[in-house]
Amino acid sequence: MRDERFRISYFLDLEALARSIGASGLLSPPLVRASGKRFVLVSGWKRVLACQEAGVVEIPALVTDEKDDLKLFLAIVEENRSHRTLSLTEKAETLKKLQALGLGQEALIRDIMPALALPATALHLRCLNGLARARRDVKRYAHEKEIPLSLLESVLRFGDADRSRLLPMLFPLGQNKQRELLDDLRGIIRRDGVTVRRVLSDGAIGEALSSEALSQLQKADRVRGLLRKLRYPALSAQQGAFDAALRNLGRPREIAIQPSPFFEDEGVSVSFRFKSAAELRDRLRKLERLASRPELLRLFRE
Amino acid sequence: MKKNTGYLPSTIFVEKGAESAPLVRRVLRNCRDVPRRTVSGRREVAERLAGGADPVAEGKKVLYLARQNGSFVKPCPCTPRYIGCSYFIVNSVLNCPLDCTYCILQLYLGGGPLTVFCNLERLWSEIDRLLGKTRGRPVRIGTGELSDSLALDHLTGASRELVSFFRARPGALFELKTKTAAVEGLFRSRPAENIVVSWSLNPHAVARKDERGAAPVRDRLEAAREAARRGFPVGFHFDPLVLFRGWEEAYGRLIDSLFRSVPARSIRWISLGSLRFPPALRGIMEARFPQSRLVHAELVPGRDGKLRYFKPLRLGLYRKMVEMIRNGGGADVPLYFCMEDSEVWERVLKWKPRRKAEVELSLSPRSVGSKSIL
Repeated sequence: MRDERFRISYFLDLEALARSIGASGLLSPPLVRASGKRFVLVSGWKRVLACQEAGVVEIPALVTDEKDDLKLFLAIVEENRSHRTLSLTEKAETLKKLQALGLGQEALIRDIMPALALPATALHLRCLNGLARARRDVKRYAHEKEIPLSLLESVLRFGDADRSRLLPMLFPLGQNKQRELLDDLRGIIRRDGVTVRRVLSDGAIGEALSSEALSQLQKADRVRGLLRKLRYPALSAQQGAFDAALRNLGRPREIAIQPSPFFEDEGVSVSFRFKSAAELRDRLRKLERLASRPELLRLFRE
Repeated sequence: MKKNTGYLPSTIFVEKGAESAPLVRRVLRNCRDVPRRTVSGRREVAERLAGGADPVAEGKKVLYLARQNGSFVKPCPCTPRYIGCSYFIVNSVLNCPLDCTYCILQLYLGGGPLTVFCNLERLWSEIDRLLGKTRGRPVRIGTGELSDSLALDHLTGASRELVSFFRARPGALFELKTKTAAVEGLFRSRPAENIVVSWSLNPHAVARKDERGAAPVRDRLEAAREAARRGFPVGFHFDPLVLFRGWEEAYGRLIDSLFRSVPARSIRWISLGSLRFPPALRGIMEARFPQSRLVHAELVPGRDGKLRYFKPLRLGLYRKMVEMIRNGGGADVPLYFCMEDSEVWERVLKWKPRRKAEVELSLSPRSVGSKSIL
């Protein structure tokens, strides 16, 4: 079990299988190969680990006489690929082991990466090698959150210690919010020449992260909003001014008033719903009143 | 003038059947020690380049000499929902030996090889067909969209042929756009009123970090001074304008240098365009230029989906630039925006083109120097 040269399955959920083995025994034996006086496990890591979990100390195994490690490993990858989706962490480990078995970069990019549904470029190979070298917490995150490669690239742009600071914030968020948080944080540290540690410990962000009243999700959402303001100060100020102007205007709740996306156009849009001629007349009367208020002009840029 | 030492490819690929074209023979003569191979087509070159860690950089190292099978001349696509200027682009070269952080070609052409099309006889007939259709309306046309117009001139000698061709066609306003100081080849030609040599400019701080392979700004201005002295009309493109700490002073110094180098009467136009790029380019910029800060500015999606500076920041940038140009010696120089909307035109230049043909007209020889349009 100490020899993991053929292992590609990680972060396994053993509970259900261990229960089944405890109740019915191991139905499908793992595959091993002789290595000197011992055997090395080739395929069936989950089953063997589940047996350990279930307290089973002796199990049958199939023995292969294939001596070529690379050939054997490629067969295991193919078998796994045919019946399940490998996580990014597992794909990264697979590529790392194939390199250790002597497969060159060109062959990995040309033959293996497309077979693993990965973009076949040296850049992506470098990114996955980064994951294979990363700490266990990052590997677990990439495995459990089923993140796409682009998001992994964003995470790996941070150093080991910073990743460990960030992961608790990333776990509760959806992928888009994770990406936004990482992009904003990276933009701030690159633009201002400050450290991640400093950004996360200063001011309102530091307060939010050390708060005991907030859940992990609330902390992550609060930090995300604060980072956005730091990253886009002019846009945030404009949005704040627009919201304040809208409050001063006393907008009727049936009528929505919105700026153009990112204030790119000068105009604002007004929308409302109605289900009768009387309602329409009512909304138009309210709009007419709004149009006569001087506060309306404050909705517009400059 | 500094001697242009210029780009040399690591390998030249020649498309089978194109070997005898005069342009191919000229390039091969100018690259005597460079290994060369005959290939069946672009795909074979791409296969040979595949697998590199940086396909964009790999593509720039090799030169592919081929026949253009598509159109040489196309209308500039500009960008959706912003005001265009009726420009036509000549695709005689694809890709660029310079390596600017913000360059759209990294995304647009990916890792394609630097390609020079050699069947110029087709280019000439396409241009004549285009000019025949425009019934005397001025046509602005240039080679500087999918490459730098002069960066390969020491190998191809193309500027001489282009100048000679367009000199005989005064209905066209032909522009060579560059970030180099490679003007030796061009200066073997006589100037003409309808041939504009233009330089893209940025302050030294930006050029040094984000315009890899381009000439230092002082060399570009020196080349512009010499072009103007020889009688070539010149143009300048402050594009992309970049916001950074101290940008006002840096652009102010650059504008002072410009008007000290080149008399305003020789300047046919100055364009302004702020940093903008499709979101998909962002990752490429970050991967290829991790030290660059360009992508970390306050960029938001515009109407066309491209990332641009937040509008009030753009307006402030343009107003200051126009003020500095007008007060710095360019009071009468025609200005235009590249890929901006009517609000920017109106608020900054106090003039709004109703359609893109009006921009084109404002820059045509008949209108140059006219204050009425600006």
